[in-house]
Amino acid sequence: MSSTYVYGIASADHPALPDGMEGIGEPSRKVRLVEAGPLAAIVSEAPEDLRPKRRDLLAHQNVLSEAGGAGPVLPMRFGSLAPDDEAVAAVLAERADHYLERLRALDGKVEYNVKAQHDEEAVLHRVMSENAEVRTLTEANRQAGGGSHQEKLRLGEMVVAAVQAREAQDAIALRQLLEPTAEAVSTGPDSTGWLANLSFLVDRKAAEHFLAAVETARRDLAHLELKVNGPLPPYSFVEPGPSEPVGTQ
Amino acid sequence: MTVVPAQQSGGGGGTSGLYDVLELVLDRGLVIDAFVRVSLVGIEILKIDIRVVVASVDTYLRFAEACNRLDLEAGPHRSAGLPDLVGGMSGSGSGDKAGDKAGDKKTKGALSGAAETISGAFGQAREEGQAEPKRTRRAPSRRKEEQE
Repeated sequence: MSSTYVYGIASADHPALPDGMEGIGEPSRKVRLVEAGPLAAIVSEAPEDLRPKRRDLLAHQNVLSEAGGAGPVLPMRFGSLAPDDEAVAAVLAERADHYLERLRALDGKVEYNVKAQHDEEAVLHRVMSENAEVRTLTEANRQAGGGSHQEKLRLGEMVVAAVQAREAQDAIALRQLLEPTAEAVSTGPDSTGWLANLSFLVDRKAAEHFLAAVETARRDLAHLELKVNGPLPPYSFVEPGPSEPVGTQ
Repeated sequence: MTVVPAQQSGGGGGTSGLYDVLELVLDRGLVIDAFVRVSLVGIEILKIDIRVVVASVDTYLRFAEACNRLDLEAGPHRSAGLPDLVGGMSGSGSGDKAGDKAGDKKTKGALSGAAETISGAFGQAREEGQAEPKRTRRAPSRRKEEQE
């Protein structure tokens, strides 16, 4: 007997899912609802040997995006399996109050993820213009046809330190520019290597303000390359945590 | 979804943004301990995708070289947001890129990114049955093209 794959949790009065919504697996498993009292889980049959394949990750994301467009959905992390539909219903019943509260808190809210890295040439110009010592050393090395190994190391170390300092400053500056237009901020998963990787919880109706702030950031921090993804299901805000104050807890 | 301005990639089901939201799908979202989670072996490699500057001798030398060839006349007027910058960097810098390649790949990853690791993860995913002719990675230095 195959198990049940869970995409997310919605209110039982969530609008019906569109016909033919394609879930994970190949061929795509049919997406359906498991209802329990005031709640419904968005589920499908789980394929045997489910792995985090590109196609399946995309299907998970698409199901949640589509369902989330119709009403609040608590997105599950990829890969949640229950033994069967009854087990899903039991979990919904057991923690109904908590999930209902979360659904209320996230009603009308979407997540925007913003990642930033430096444009190398632009940040070097910036460092150069801000730091006379770097300018002097660069000029000296140029005059010397590039400079000795030691001189290059000295310049490089100084520049790297300055760029790293800018990374830290720019991460703060970016957050400060965007935060006022969002309801909550969550720092992205650790160690993904961006100078800033932030998720913002944004009221769908106020999304244009947030996106205007992003444009301001692009203009004011022109040496940053920003990647903005959204609107997304509020993955980073489903659970209120100590570092992620969400809504009304 | 309702608001998807041109600059925002994905969210509505496109694949372009998938690589950037992957970590959210895999690392965030509700976890219910009564449910089992599938193994994520093979995708952990995402964790070492580094785009910030890492201090090392190789990086020092590369940045010293980058400063040396920086066109100071262009100065701060050159905006990072201008699309022509991409062409400028990949074109006029091609000789230097070749030099970089001769060096340690990791130094190149300092700013231009180690997107190969993502490619690795997805390459693996593809081997598991995903025939996907489209290149699954965009090197961060090319990411502007993606936005256009």
